[in-house]
Amino acid sequence: MAIKIALAGNPNCGKTTMFNDLTGSSQYVGNWPGVTVEKKEGRLRTHKDVVVTDLPGIYSLSPYTLEEVVTRNYILDEHPDVVIDLVDGSNIERNLYLTTQLTEMGLPVIIALNMIDIVQKNGDKIDVEKLSQALGCEVIETSAIKGTGSRQVAERAVQMALTGVKTHPGHTFSKPVEEALSGIESLIDGTVPQERLRWYSIKLFERDEKVLEKLELDADGKKRLEEIVSGLEAELDDDSESIITGERYQFIGKLVSQCVRKRQSGLTTSDKIDRVVTNRWLALPIFAAVMYIVYFVSVSWLGTIVTDWTNDTLFAETIQPAVGGWLEAVGAAGWLQGLIVDGIIGGVGAVLGFVPQMFILFFFLSILEDCGYMARVAFIMDRIFRKFGLSGKSFIPMLISSGCGVPGIMATRTIENEKDRRMTIMTTTFIPCGAKLPIIALIAGAVFPNITWMAPATYFFGIFMVVISGIILKKTKMFAGDPSPFVMELPQYHFPAPKGVLLHMWERGKAFIIKAGTVIFVACGIIWFLQSFGFGPEGLYMVEDENASLLAAIGGVIAPVFLPLGFGNWQAAVASVSGLVAKENVVGTFGVLFGLGEVGEDDPALLSMVPTLFATSASALAFMVFNLTCAPCFAAIGAIRREMMSAKWTWFAIGYMTVMAYVMGFIINQLGGFLFYGVSFGIGQVLALICVAALLWGLLRSYNPNKTARKPAVAGAHA
Amino acid sequence: MPLTMARSGEPGTVKEIHGKEETRRFLESLGFVEGGAVTVISQMGGNLIVNVKDTRVALSRSMASRIMI
Repeated sequence: MAIKIALAGNPNCGKTTMFNDLTGSSQYVGNWPGVTVEKKEGRLRTHKDVVVTDLPGIYSLSPYTLEEVVTRNYILDEHPDVVIDLVDGSNIERNLYLTTQLTEMGLPVIIALNMIDIVQKNGDKIDVEKLSQALGCEVIETSAIKGTGSRQVAERAVQMALTGVKTHPGHTFSKPVEEALSGIESLIDGTVPQERLRWYSIKLFERDEKVLEKLELDADGKKRLEEIVSGLEAELDDDSESIITGERYQFIGKLVSQCVRKRQSGLTTSDKIDRVVTNRWLALPIFAAVMYIVYFVSVSWLGTIVTDWTNDTLFAETIQPAVGGWLEAVGAAGWLQGLIVDGIIGGVGAVLGFVPQMFILFFFLSILEDCGYMARVAFIMDRIFRKFGLSGKSFIPMLISSGCGVPGIMATRTIENEKDRRMTIMTTTFIPCGAKLPIIALIAGAVFPNITWMAPATYFFGIFMVVISGIILKKTKMFAGDPSPFVMELPQYHFPAPKGVLLHMWERGKAFIIKAGTVIFVACGIIWFLQSFGFGPEGLYMVEDENASLLAAIGGVIAPVFLPLGFGNWQAAVASVSGLVAKENVVGTFGVLFGLGEVGEDDPALLSMVPTLFATSASALAFMVFNLTCAPCFAAIGAIRREMMSAKWTWFAIGYMTVMAYVMGFIINQLGGFLFYGVSFGIGQVLALICVAALLWGLLRSYNPNKTARKPAVAGAHA
Repeated sequence: MPLTMARSGEPGTVKEIHGKEETRRFLESLGFVEGGAVTVISQMGGNLIVNVKDTRVALSRSMASRIMI
């Protein structure tokens, strides 16, 4: 029979890092609490019959948050053979709180004293022997990030599962509490498994509703339980749950003072950094500067240099002539040469050309995440997000979305408030993801070559869209209400581990390469086919003039829709629609369309062709803005559908994004064209001004959902 | 007084935690227990970063005002 090992511990203590190390998988790891929202399973690399389960991080086993319920139910109902309790050694006091609860559950528990490298670096000493004795279970020092100790813990866990030893909690509570607990034990003795007797009696003492429901005590039992609990509550003048919490912390406090020797106290280096980066005045400028540098370097500066090389040297000078020459030599048919050279290499190559840029972006994002800064950004943004009704927790999905929107949308699961969660799902893909990078680079390079801040500006435009959406939506009945308060543990700053950062970068970038080889490969093939063939009197034939192609016919139907935005030609229309499959396709489509063989975003031919599609530079900007903010790709729409769990909400979300994108594009094209490019004032400008007025009305109108319900509160708020 | 009024750098002791049961439990599991020490590390428009049991926890103003020291 398979052995089941569960990894449990506080949020952000390294469970997923250890899980990846043990099972060889590559689950998303982030240096902030709450990255893992669902349990994940894998098999031990060294013993294929051992199943390891990575549980969401929790602070306690009380059933108050979703993660706690998931973890608790797993441990109670799935009976893992061993629980590996990860304890962050640099933060031992708070972490042991959960340990005291886990050891009561009647399962074999082994402690992995993780982050031991940080403990040693801080110069602290932990007496492992004494700790192990006091807690009643084995303790092994580990550093999951460096890969030390993990295997040892797993080996010991397997041995424990095979021998079937049970862990008995080493801690006891004060005498009156113990007396009350044994009173409860005698009430339920025989109705629960012997090894869980203590756990159940503690939970009953705490009046845990889920346990009360499950045990179905009779009326007499309930009465006696209540007598015991309220008797002690009166005696100690505290509620039962707080009594237990206090007892646990007291035990831990004593234990820590015996086993842990801290070298320093007071302000750590981490605190000193926090004083600066979360400073009231400096926090936002620092964040803006950091993101500016990240996007500037990865898109405009270093990215362009690397991409130029891939396009000009690798593709244009090496691959394309080689493939073209070879096809010529073997005498391939003209249409096949066209499909491969123009369609596949042109389209897929245009997208692949951006992969180096994406890698650079992901490299920076990984560093920012890993060092602990991103968790601070959530804290910094909380103050601003709160003003328009979202909490800083909503910023975490947005941080993830700057890589890819799909995990970003999934990360909204940690937001408890349903309205906040829906609103975050609807707005998180406004942040440009990696796949939108080629669109930015293309338009910025082709139309605005002298504006170096174009790429960073798109990131801040995304945040701007989130902010105005927040303000507008919060003033509607659907979303009104205060955001939930923000509480988040902040990890200590640390120097990013090169292996982790590179791995993280590779994992994210790999997904784009795979996409280029599959989805985009097929899409470019189809686009090539549609633009090469037309339907004439003699049926399907290969066209000379693209304007006679099937693609032009299809695009021509859609194009009028985009006319007010300034790109009412079939090429741009088709590119925009193909972006639904994957956003890279927007550029891929241009690559196929211009039939120039290899065209990367920096290819002079493509750069000179693209501007001809747009009436003015304002239209090109409108095209970019529309494509960055409209309905996301199908993968992200699928994620929205799963997370919203309602078709109605999914359509509403997609509709909202597309309408907002259209309105923004319209305003930019009409007013931008009038103000900067000499377009005369006409009906379009009037309509654009009406749109601006409507947006301002949505932003500035006063709305009070509690007009009648809570008069005094309203009066107070306005006073 | 509420934690929001504490001066940064000066250690204080948690006297009481107000609020819904759920909120209190959550704060307790994070280490905010009556009698426990807490120090404000950094302030930003009412939002705080505090040191509690050697952990750094970020709190919004509304949450911090429920913790009395």
